Amino acid sequence: MAHILLVEDSPEVSLSVREILASAGHTTEEAASGKEALKALKGSKFDAIVSDIWMPEMDGIALLKEIRGAGNDIPVVVISGGAPNAPLTYTAPLAATFGANLVVYKPFEKAELLKAIETVLAD
Amino acid sequence: MTAPSAIKTSAPDRSDFAQLTVQTWLEALPSPAVVLDGDMVLVAANGRAEDMLQSYPASVVGAIVNGPFRSIADRVRRIAGIETQAWFEHPLGGTWYYVTAYPVQARADGPVLQVVIATDITRQKHAEFEIRESEARLEEATRIAQLGTYKVYWDTEAVQWSPHMYVLHGLSPDSFVHTPDSYREIVHPEDRDLHERYRRNQLEGKALHGAEYRIIRKDGTMRWLRLDGRVLFDADGEPYASFGTCQDVTEGKQREQELKHLLRRNTILYEALDASPIGVAVLTTDGPRPEVFYVNAEFERLTGHKASSLAKRSIGALRAEDQSGVAGGEWDKVNLALQTSRAGAFELTCVRRDGTTFLGQLEVAPVRDHPGREATVFVLNLRDITIDRQRAEQLLQSQKMEALGQLSGGVAHEINNLLQPVLALSDLGQDIADTDPVKVRKYFEVIASSGRKARDVVRQVLTFARRDAPQLAAYPITALVEDALRLLQSGLPPEIKLMQQIEAGEAEALVNPTQVSQVVLNLVKNAADAMDGKGTVSVRLRSIDLDAAPAGALALAPGRWIELQVADAGCGMDAYTLSRVFEPFFTTKLAGKGTGLGLSVVYSIVVGWGGMLKLESEVDQGTTAMVYIPAAHSDAS
Repeated sequence: MAHILLVEDSPEVSLSVREILASAGHTTEEAASGKEALKALKGSKFDAIVSDIWMPEMDGIALLKEIRGAGNDIPVVVISGGAPNAPLTYTAPLAATFGANLVVYKPFEKAELLKAIETVLAD
Repeated sequence: MTAPSAIKTSAPDRSDFAQLTVQTWLEALPSPAVVLDGDMVLVAANGRAEDMLQSYPASVVGAIVNGPFRSIADRVRRIAGIETQAWFEHPLGGTWYYVTAYPVQARADGPVLQVVIATDITRQKHAEFEIRESEARLEEATRIAQLGTYKVYWDTEAVQWSPHMYVLHGLSPDSFVHTPDSYREIVHPEDRDLHERYRRNQLEGKALHGAEYRIIRKDGTMRWLRLDGRVLFDADGEPYASFGTCQDVTEGKQREQELKHLLRRNTILYEALDASPIGVAVLTTDGPRPEVFYVNAEFERLTGHKASSLAKRSIGALRAEDQSGVAGGEWDKVNLALQTSRAGAFELTCVRRDGTTFLGQLEVAPVRDHPGREATVFVLNLRDITIDRQRAEQLLQSQKMEALGQLSGGVAHEINNLLQPVLALSDLGQDIADTDPVKVRKYFEVIASSGRKARDVVRQVLTFARRDAPQLAAYPITALVEDALRLLQSGLPPEIKLMQQIEAGEAEALVNPTQVSQVVLNLVKNAADAMDGKGTVSVRLRSIDLDAAPAGALALAPGRWIELQVADAGCGMDAYTLSRVFEPFFTTKLAGKGTGLGLSVVYSIVVGWGGMLKLESEVDQGTTAMVYIPAAHSDAS
């Protein structure tokens, strides 16, 4: 069972992700922006991060830059609302570029996310 | 003149006989005859002399001549001894006499007598007077007409000129010697051959009519001369000379040249007008109302009317009957513009000759002789905008679809985020349906609210895609702009930051919500593209009060407006690009990156609201787009 930092500005999405993770016995701390996430990382130790991309104050890309820039190689699963084939969506490839371990596209089902968590934790 | 009278003598004797002989001889003469001595005593006279003497001859024989004949007698006396001629006019009778005096001497030592024989030349005199008078009249006429006359003798080629001929040529009769060469030198070099032909033609007996050529006077001035001549024949019917008139036609020639120039100008103008792709009509107010004076070829083509069938008719001939009140209303505006000499542009339903109709754009421009006065001439430009209108509507629609495509990324993001809890929570809820009903209820609430939000997004997209003519109404502008920004944000490159300064509060704007999204989307997209996908786009929304001066500069009414500013720090635009960015399909983007419709659509939308779009740009500094949106009246205070 892992302790996971969940970074997501939408309360509804946040709730659903938290509940999925809880169903598999994972515990979560929640942050509504990149800035909050950085604060949380200083306070606690996490096994993985699940992060949205589009958020106010500091988005997921900036958060990833900060984390990897600081030499932290904690596993990160990006959850993206951008459709994978939408021409104007730059988010997923960028997330990978900036050091996300995996990208999961919304809306995902319970099993998809849990599989992704399992994968990054195993690496 | 009286008939010859009887012989007036005394009784016959030898000396009487001698007398009688002279007398008889005198009476036998067919003309008045008298004999005078050196003292002007009338020695003898015949009966025919009665009128000339104004006396009965017998009664004055032996007396010194008196009366009207006295003066001629006196003259004869003074030149006594020489045969002499004279003529005089009888002061009473209006009779002219030609008098010949023959001196005779009866004896060698006797007195010299003068036999004076007179001839009545009244008729010849009158004829002579008439000729003189007609010559004088001719001279006067040629002087008035500034005609010179000339005569050329064929055998010698000798030339006679009237005084005015010299004036016409700027020559002095004293210094000019006529030779073919001396004249040739006066003739304009280009006309010398021409003049030589005239000269030869004349010498060959051909008449000249309207032969025209130029001369260069001594002072350097150029004049046009015109010759009209005919051939003169002698008593035997043989041609011997040419005679003609010469006049200065320089002014007429100049007028002719001006007229030719004017005609050519007119021809060019008419041809140019006929080549124009715009229908042009000229109206004049010769009658009680403006009537068609001219239409060009395109106007004929557009209306199907020949120029002749429109001439003198009102432009209302194109007015479509049986149209909706709107069309009629526009036509009334045209009439009002014509009546009040105002310029204007109108969109009208026009009827062709065959009864079909088209949507015409008619521009009326009054032509004023003097500023402030009513126009007497109007120029009308007519275009068929039926297809333009259709095309513009298609363009707007296609741009909307393009914008919709651009929005799809944002829409997908929204929907995906809303589907996420629906999918996850409905799944999780099934697992705990029996064990944790409180949690399940919570899940349902979130699912329902997400569903409602997704429905709103879908409605928004459908509204946007709708083809309906946009209706303007009062909307809270802050919410519209924020919605649009939220939707487009996720479609922007991640390194584009949106800096929002939304300060319009509760202000309401007279807009169409879909179009607000379109405006915001286009402006922000353009700004992001101008910065190559990296940088900050500043969006500012606020209410402002425009004074007369700044409002006038924007062609807006002074008062409350809502200003939307979208600024970037991108590549900016040069003056040329800036002047063209509102044109449809004008694009600085690479092929495939955009249709170039963006700014032209924003412009047409904003103008459609009664607002204005203004761009400020500097190369490498960035561009700021300012949209002035009409504030709803409730918010105007």
